[in-house]
Amino acid sequence: MKRRGWTRLLAAGLVGVLSVGLLAGCGSEKETLHIYSWADNFDPEVLKDFEEKFDVKVTYDNYANNEDLLAKINAGGSGYDLIQPSDYMVKTMIESDLLEPLDMNNIPNFENISDTFKDPSYDPGNQYSIVYTTGVTGIAYNTKYIQDEINSWEDLWNPEYKGKVLLLDDNREVIGLALKKLGKSNSTTDEAEITAAVEELKTLLPNVLAFDTDSIKQKMMQEEGWIASVWSGDAAFIAAENPDVAYVVPEEGATIFSDNYAIPKGAKNKELAEKFINFMLEPEVSAKNFEYIGYSNPNTKAMEFHSEDYRNNTMINLTDEELARTEWLDNVGEALQLYDRLWSELKSGR
Amino acid sequence: MKKRSHPLLGIHSYLMLAFIYMPILIIIIYSFNSARLSGNWEGFTLDWYTSLFQNRHVREALMNSLTIAITSTVVSTMLGTAAALALRDLRGKKRSGMNGLLYLPVIIPDIIMGLSLLVMFSQLNMPLGKTTVMIAHITFSLSYVYVVVTARLSGMGKQLEEAAQDLGATPWQTFRHVTLPQIAPGIISGALIAFTLSLDDFMVSFFVAGPSSTTLPIYIYAQVKRGISPEINALCTLLILVSITLILLSQYILNRGNNDKKHKTLPI
Amino acid sequence: MRNSRFLLPPVLLWLSLFLVIPMLIVVGISFLSRDTLGRVVFEFNLEGYRTFFDPLYLGIYWDTLVLSLLTTVICLLVSYPLAYYIANASPRVQTWGLVLITIPFWINFLIRTYAWVLLLRTQGVVNSALLWLGWIDEPIQMLYTYGAVLMGMVYNFIPFMVLPIYVALEQMDKRLLDAASDLGASRWKAFLHVTLPQSKSGIMTGAVLVYVSTSGMFVVTDILGGAKSTMISNIIQTQFLGARNWPFGAALSVIFVVTSLILILLFNRAMQARHQRVGEGRA
Repeated sequence: MKRRGWTRLLAAGLVGVLSVGLLAGCGSEKETLHIYSWADNFDPEVLKDFEEKFDVKVTYDNYANNEDLLAKINAGGSGYDLIQPSDYMVKTMIESDLLEPLDMNNIPNFENISDTFKDPSYDPGNQYSIVYTTGVTGIAYNTKYIQDEINSWEDLWNPEYKGKVLLLDDNREVIGLALKKLGKSNSTTDEAEITAAVEELKTLLPNVLAFDTDSIKQKMMQEEGWIASVWSGDAAFIAAENPDVAYVVPEEGATIFSDNYAIPKGAKNKELAEKFINFMLEPEVSAKNFEYIGYSNPNTKAMEFHSEDYRNNTMINLTDEELARTEWLDNVGEALQLYDRLWSELKSGR
Repeated sequence: MKKRSHPLLGIHSYLMLAFIYMPILIIIIYSFNSARLSGNWEGFTLDWYTSLFQNRHVREALMNSLTIAITSTVVSTMLGTAAALALRDLRGKKRSGMNGLLYLPVIIPDIIMGLSLLVMFSQLNMPLGKTTVMIAHITFSLSYVYVVVTARLSGMGKQLEEAAQDLGATPWQTFRHVTLPQIAPGIISGALIAFTLSLDDFMVSFFVAGPSSTTLPIYIYAQVKRGISPEINALCTLLILVSITLILLSQYILNRGNNDKKHKTLPI
Repeated sequence: MRNSRFLLPPVLLWLSLFLVIPMLIVVGISFLSRDTLGRVVFEFNLEGYRTFFDPLYLGIYWDTLVLSLLTTVICLLVSYPLAYYIANASPRVQTWGLVLITIPFWINFLIRTYAWVLLLRTQGVVNSALLWLGWIDEPIQMLYTYGAVLMGMVYNFIPFMVLPIYVALEQMDKRLLDAASDLGASRWKAFLHVTLPQSKSGIMTGAVLVYVSTSGMFVVTDILGGAKSTMISNIIQTQFLGARNWPFGAALSVIFVVTSLILILLFNRAMQARHQRVGEGRA
């Protein structure tokens, strides 16, 4: 009895697997756009609109950080048509010859993008990428616990915030903020400057509750930490749930970043990907999409279709003055090894 | 039958069970919490269950995960058991060499397993998809099955099998009627581990997955950036309920018509 | 009966294709160089292996070993009685015990771990309960500590310990125990001299599985430990991703795999030697 049950189960399992496999094999004949991007980075309705308008199918798979994306694209043959790397990653991918040049004739709506974000330093002339969204790594703090005025990176070192500071779990971001505090460039390759910044961070450790990139938002919302280095879009996200949280771009300056549209080398549906980018840049579509995802929209023509709330949100729409004291992260070449080693040293406490 | 377990053992076991289920209870409770992200209790809702059923991405990821987990469990259980049985007959260097090889997938860090397979698949021009994920899962799962079945075999003599052969049983008959029933608990435990590993693997799957072969863990890891939706809590709650129901059902089916009271019921 | 003749080839074929070849690629990479962009360059180089002997990385490896050993020991201590209880229970309880212990681990790892965050954080369930009971006056910082990491590790690998031990105990000849008690052995003595040696293979398997899985794990240290400590697998991970130093990452992996294999071998030897001594003692 025991044995019969066992083999029966095996047989049933095999049949089930085979049939599911066969069913999965019968896909549709429609042209398909394979998107590979951050989770929840598009309004699903907008994707559906695109599918209907062009009579195509869209698949949407996710990655969780730029490095994962690079490793995967680097190995080749990923099968994706559209990816969304951040600024420094666009540059790395261009240098490694991993991206297809964009055909701007297929993307006339590129004109709608704010001049501030055209022709960026990481991709001069927008040959390979078009900006999707941008933000600045600043300070979010909870006014319920912190009455002092916060306007400098120095404030993270305040001994009153012992065990209440949250930092991004990212060596370039965090060493970059220490460099800014010291009045240096966030992308220095000078060994003495990098070492000085990490020494500075070692004195911050007693204040640090945790390093976290992905769920730093929850830790701020739930008031586990009082003050944190966060991306402006995330700050808007936190403040929507917890109105006590405020955000500031520190006076010493900060790191600006962007996510972009790009097409990986050898993509099978390059033209469709370009059609998609163009569609997403249409003012009305763009506004609808960004109302959903709640990040900053660099599409100037879309502004008139945005809600009052969105336009008045100072964490989503940073002022020119704030943007003026920001700097892009640049590739640091061989110095990356030093950043990495010192970062391990800092975190392992050795 | 003599009672072999000290009452303290029973208490310990139920405390362990409580420990194991503590986070699960939290997941179930939060699947009814109307707060999306804050983690505080803000009232009862069934919304996450309704939106779960409308979420195409979760459904696809779940289907992919189940297909991959079932296939890789079946194949890896067969391969792992075969390996364990085969190694029983080997001696000396050959045996320790094979043993080391079979331990490798357990030891190799996930990222190495994922990346090295990715490099190989792309060199072979193999399109990434469910098949490549299954291959990867079978490769690491079969080791766990091997390890557990071997633990069973090592405590088992060969007398019964030899007796069966002396009585004229063919090798297949000996295997089906003598060996298999003896090692069944090992096989089942191994299969349970294999299924669990496959269902829960992120790192290896991430690298060898292609378009539309996103598994549940890949989907969930990517979600963390925006905050995991309570829909996932709802999904986990349903998964637990379905698993327990299925097991109850299989028990019922197996026990029906089974009047031999001394016969031991096995998990499957 | 020579099972190996037809059972071995399919396994060997599978492992050669999907394990040996990829591993050879990794070993190959570990001896190569990289360019500034992080691409692997075909040029012989031992830099990856040399870097490992930097006191920083040796130290991190030591920390990893200590945490893995601690986890294994605690896991064994809490799991053995559970496995023992299940193996000696009625068939129905055995079935349910095994299944009940495994099912929680079908729930996604991240979800489970974030549930622990909800339990342990300062405004979490555990702190609230303790405050309500009046046992503490203000919340204890439980998250982002070594204790939280250790607990998370033990929690996640309980099935890896319970299942093999159960498998070994379940097949034990229970008449031996009866014989021991008939001969006047105390419960404890019978356990020490009869049960424990018989479950040796299960303990070994469980210990190896837990040890190896712990030392390869880093998400627990990130989420429950607040990423404030570094495991060797964090370092391997970043070499392949953020730091783009594949040769160093590959070298670290080779060192990690080889040392783990040696440790397992030594452990097996020690257990066997001990078992023989115990056997002789009894004889």
